[in-house]
Amino acid sequence: MNDGAAGGPGSGPAPTRESWTKRLFRLREEPPYWLRILLGVSSVGFILIVWAALTSGSIPEERAISPAVLPSLGETAESLPRLFGERGLIASIAASLTRVFLGFGLACLIGIPFGMLAGAWRPFNALMTPLVIFGRNIPIAALIPLTLLWFGIDETQKVMFLFIATVPFVFSSAASAVVAIHQRYVETAQTLGASPWQIFRKVLAPLALPQVFTDNRQLFGLAFGYIMLAELVNAKRGLGFLIQISQKRSQPEDILMILVIIGLLAWLIDKTLAWFQRGLFPYRRDL
Amino acid sequence: MSEDRPSPSDAPPADPEALLAELERDTAEALAKAKADAEAEARAAQPPEEAEAAAPVVEVSAPADETPAPEVDPPVVAFRNVTKTYGDGPKAFTAIKDLTFSVPDIPGKGEFICVLGPSGCGKSTVLRLIAGLGPQHPPTIGEVLVEGRPVTGPGADRGMVFQDYTSFDHMTVEDNVAFGLACRGVGKKERLEQAHHWIDKVGLSVGHDARKYPHQLSGGMRQRVAIARTLILKPRIILMDEPFGALDPSTRMQMQDNLVALWRDLEATVFFVTHSIEEAVYLGDRVHILSSSPGTLLREIQVPPPDRPAQAMQRDPEFLEYVFDIRDTIETLEASRRAGDD
Repeated sequence: MNDGAAGGPGSGPAPTRESWTKRLFRLREEPPYWLRILLGVSSVGFILIVWAALTSGSIPEERAISPAVLPSLGETAESLPRLFGERGLIASIAASLTRVFLGFGLACLIGIPFGMLAGAWRPFNALMTPLVIFGRNIPIAALIPLTLLWFGIDETQKVMFLFIATVPFVFSSAASAVVAIHQRYVETAQTLGASPWQIFRKVLAPLALPQVFTDNRQLFGLAFGYIMLAELVNAKRGLGFLIQISQKRSQPEDILMILVIIGLLAWLIDKTLAWFQRGLFPYRRDL
Repeated sequence: MSEDRPSPSDAPPADPEALLAELERDTAEALAKAKADAEAEARAAQPPEEAEAAAPVVEVSAPADETPAPEVDPPVVAFRNVTKTYGDGPKAFTAIKDLTFSVPDIPGKGEFICVLGPSGCGKSTVLRLIAGLGPQHPPTIGEVLVEGRPVTGPGADRGMVFQDYTSFDHMTVEDNVAFGLACRGVGKKERLEQAHHWIDKVGLSVGHDARKYPHQLSGGMRQRVAIARTLILKPRIILMDEPFGALDPSTRMQMQDNLVALWRDLEATVFFVTHSIEEAVYLGDRVHILSSSPGTLLREIQVPPPDRPAQAMQRDPEFLEYVFDIRDTIETLEASRRAGDD
């Protein structure tokens, strides 16, 4: 909070005499860019400070938390060269991302068109509803032994695991995006002579697409999380595999560093997708 | 659909109410006759050109049996004893009841018909029945005929402009306007050429606006796009459901002027639902007044066609007389409805 006060006057003159504290508590008002960055940085900073405090002390016995449980910031940073070098972090990142892109990509390729059809043509939705409810609530861990039995222990199993785990979510998000389009658009198209298929192709699907894209940006995060799970079993590369080996070798600093890298990676991917989204849908300023 | 909310009274109309309605109709007819006479006199005293402008001031009391002879073209639109009821049992709600009217097919000319009535009287229901849009379509009882054939569903021969802005957000203005032609399979070059022609006709700038997306336009401009998108298909019937309802008064008058100019070039029958009596009297050749729910056609008034810009004409005392007369009719209706609710 004090950080905010220090940043206030430095950010330029404020001709309106309304105090910034008052503005800060206004409902639904986006704070200025510098304040958003500052607040974001301060939350990360807070965690780092607590972390540093809990792990301070030169002798391990003097620390509040033992280094076997929580290594210090410095120790975690020192794991970086090792991870990139002998532990092959880059290859693992590439392996994990490839699996996510293949598995989740397949889920999008099948889930989005069929989901949109279900949103437009309700009998098909009624047909799919039981399967989708089942698929969304299936215990994800149970899919691992099952896919191992069905698809073996290689890449196919990991891709199919991701596909099965995410396709119900992709499907229902696409269906509800189409359902949410106001009936007026359909009626307008009808009175302009469009056939049902033309309405689906030219009106419903494109109008739903921005929402579908937004939903799938979030689902991508889910898929990225799921892949670690699949990589705990029978993987030779991948971020999940690295984490598991680190645990076996009792290297918590490696696990923490990998988690930080996963976070950065996910953020980077989301930003890239958002950039694509703005380019693809110039008519949706709200995205 | 604000028109379709359930009626506050669940019971079917009792006899006294029916009698009251009968009485009201008689009174309205008598009033209408008296007024027609007075107007005929006034017309006789008018200079010839003005008399021509105000020419056919005829009052028809509904329901009239089919007026045209069987050899003549079938009416453009005919409602035959149309009733629309939603639900059944004690929760049933009748939006319109025993509605009968017809709009004759005058060769080379379409009529501009404005539909007025207290809120909740089923004005939109009438339009949506003509358009063939559910859940209003199909009627519970009776038939809706367009050029002699029963309406089976929506089609491009009956274009519709809604009150809400229904521009397709993902298409540029020119693609919005060309949408119907694209659905018909007209080639890209030709349909864009026609779209540009219509963008210009509705008062937008081809160079400036054609490639914009709807979110870059004001409400009035979006309605211009919606009108161009409908008119480009040259529909026989144009249905407009309070298209200017969300616009500010001055934009509204500009739109009215533009619509009058456009309509003169078209052989289309327009049904225009509005809340504004001024708008109805200005735009219409005829004004249909519906009674409150269940809606029935109460009065059909011939009004002078728009011969001047909206701003000028809507100050004319003669014009205002029509407005006040219709306002009184509607107020009587709403008063009797409130009395009925108690």
